[in-house]
Amino acid sequence: MKSYDLITPEGTRDLLFDECVARKEAEDKLRAVFTAHGYSEVITPALEFYDVFNNKTRSFRQEDMYKLTDGKGRLMVMRPDSTMPIARIVATRLRDGVFPLKLFCSQNIYRCNPKMAGRDDEFMQSGVEIIGGDEKRSDLEALSLAAQVLNSCSSDDVRLEIGDNTFYKLLLEKLDIDDEETVRSLIESKNTPDLTQFIKDNVDNAPEKRRYSEILLQLPDLFGGAEVFDKAEKLFAGTALSDRLTELKETFDALRKLEAEDKITVDLGLVNKAEYYTGIVFRGYIEEYGQAVLSGGRYDTLIGSFGADDMPAVGFAVNVNAIASANLRSNRSTKARHAEVLVFAADDDLIDGISHCTKLISKGISAEFSTCPTLEAAMEYAKANKISKIDIIDKEKNEQPVTMTL
Amino acid sequence: MDKKTIRIALTKGRLEKDTVNLFDKIGYDVSQLRDKGRRLILDIPGSNIEVVLAKAADVLTYVEHGVCDLGVVGKDTIDEHGGRFFEVCDLGFGRCRFALAGKVGNNFYEGCGVKTIATKYPNITRRFFESKAMDVDIVKIEGSVELAPLLELSDGIVDIVETGTTLKENGLEVYEYVSPISARVIVNPVSMKLKKNSIEELVNKMESNI
Repeated sequence: MKSYDLITPEGTRDLLFDECVARKEAEDKLRAVFTAHGYSEVITPALEFYDVFNNKTRSFRQEDMYKLTDGKGRLMVMRPDSTMPIARIVATRLRDGVFPLKLFCSQNIYRCNPKMAGRDDEFMQSGVEIIGGDEKRSDLEALSLAAQVLNSCSSDDVRLEIGDNTFYKLLLEKLDIDDEETVRSLIESKNTPDLTQFIKDNVDNAPEKRRYSEILLQLPDLFGGAEVFDKAEKLFAGTALSDRLTELKETFDALRKLEAEDKITVDLGLVNKAEYYTGIVFRGYIEEYGQAVLSGGRYDTLIGSFGADDMPAVGFAVNVNAIASANLRSNRSTKARHAEVLVFAADDDLIDGISHCTKLISKGISAEFSTCPTLEAAMEYAKANKISKIDIIDKEKNEQPVTMTL
Repeated sequence: MDKKTIRIALTKGRLEKDTVNLFDKIGYDVSQLRDKGRRLILDIPGSNIEVVLAKAADVLTYVEHGVCDLGVVGKDTIDEHGGRFFEVCDLGFGRCRFALAGKVGNNFYEGCGVKTIATKYPNITRRFFESKAMDVDIVKIEGSVELAPLLELSDGIVDIVETGTTLKENGLEVYEYVSPISARVIVNPVSMKLKKNSIEELVNKMESNI
């Protein structure tokens, strides 16, 4: 039988040395931002029951999840996301806690991606959730935090893009469209040619609907800077959509006062996960990575779907692997380093060698006890690992350690 | 990639030729593109555009990963492989259709047995029959799919049909059309946001010169 004991499964990888440092750094930076803003950390199990992620308002396709069974034959998944487990916790253990809650999570998540597409099946995600807070305040807090997170990536060119899927949902309602999934994927992929055809084929041309189908058709193109709001205001004027647009504009303007203006953009065609998000949605991009590195939004019905009362909630998650690999590629992360000093002890002086090491470390100097059998081997090891000093302990020759500089 | 450079991946072959003609019409210097030798990355002198030549499915991959900002690729490839990118413009050329076809005179839907379909596009085929709630056996063929029903390997084929001449000459006919195909411009979502102006400018130029 073929044995797979020498490779890792597709979509997973071993992180070595510099890669490890880069990921740790990215994670630590995010953790520092979150804790400085008063968020409390939670850790959820990597294994959850399938049911936690399988519900109409919880948008995970079964083919995207890694599944296994427990000892009783119940279906389990490797968590494909951290927000649903957090919603589960809020609806159960934290049900009678003090709200609003500000939580963050930093852990690996697992997705079954199409094979050979170069995507990670296991990656670290760090994210925050604000649960039970005033809507306007929470939205602004989440967005400004997202902007700070992007800035902490130290990429030259970052964008935080906001949108709101209320527009899209109102339009579907007004136009009586049944095939929601098709329309959504057309808007999501900004596919105006096919959207035009779809509307022609599926929406009747009654005068009261014409106005709304015109807006739906424009939705994918309504992205960019402040000029988008001018365009949308004209387009939405007098419709059910215009109140929400005013609110979104307020949030947008507030955010632009807090951050460099050109970093904040808007896309009214952001409609991803529409069965899950119930209002503002946003995404973050950095120059060095080909997909969004941050994504989030408001999800006011999720906690209710776990049997508790509906509760306003907003949050976002960051792909830590993506940021780490961008930092690594542009040489912005620290290189993995060996100790400053290698301590080599002669056969009879091993105890003195170990205590010399400890002494150096207590002085704040990183020191490594050499496990090489000879001084020659230790020197070669030091050279290969760019360690510039060797402290030699050989009491027969010298009472004190002798420092050799390479 | 330089910040101001826009890299566009073209599907080698006919779509490449049509796109180069379109670039010519826009007024770009396409001398390098026409006289490319064996090079795979080419410049358009006097512009900020870099052209990459790739196989159809690879165009999707390069654009999804953001190593190319845009791509020109057939709707057939997009439907078969999918991916995370924007599909912003229908270039109108490379127009043809997916069709279900088989031997002349046969009634494909007759009987309740499971049908066998030969195709180069298993995902499109699966989706098409799924929408009809039909179980079918799909056999993936790499070359001339028309052979499969003639050799009685399959009851029908799902393939691209342009004029129908090949079908006719081999005693096959279209039973049903599946979906229309044409060349599309796809854009990486991050490039679309970070290089909005230059990408929109190029797409608009392409659109208005079709």
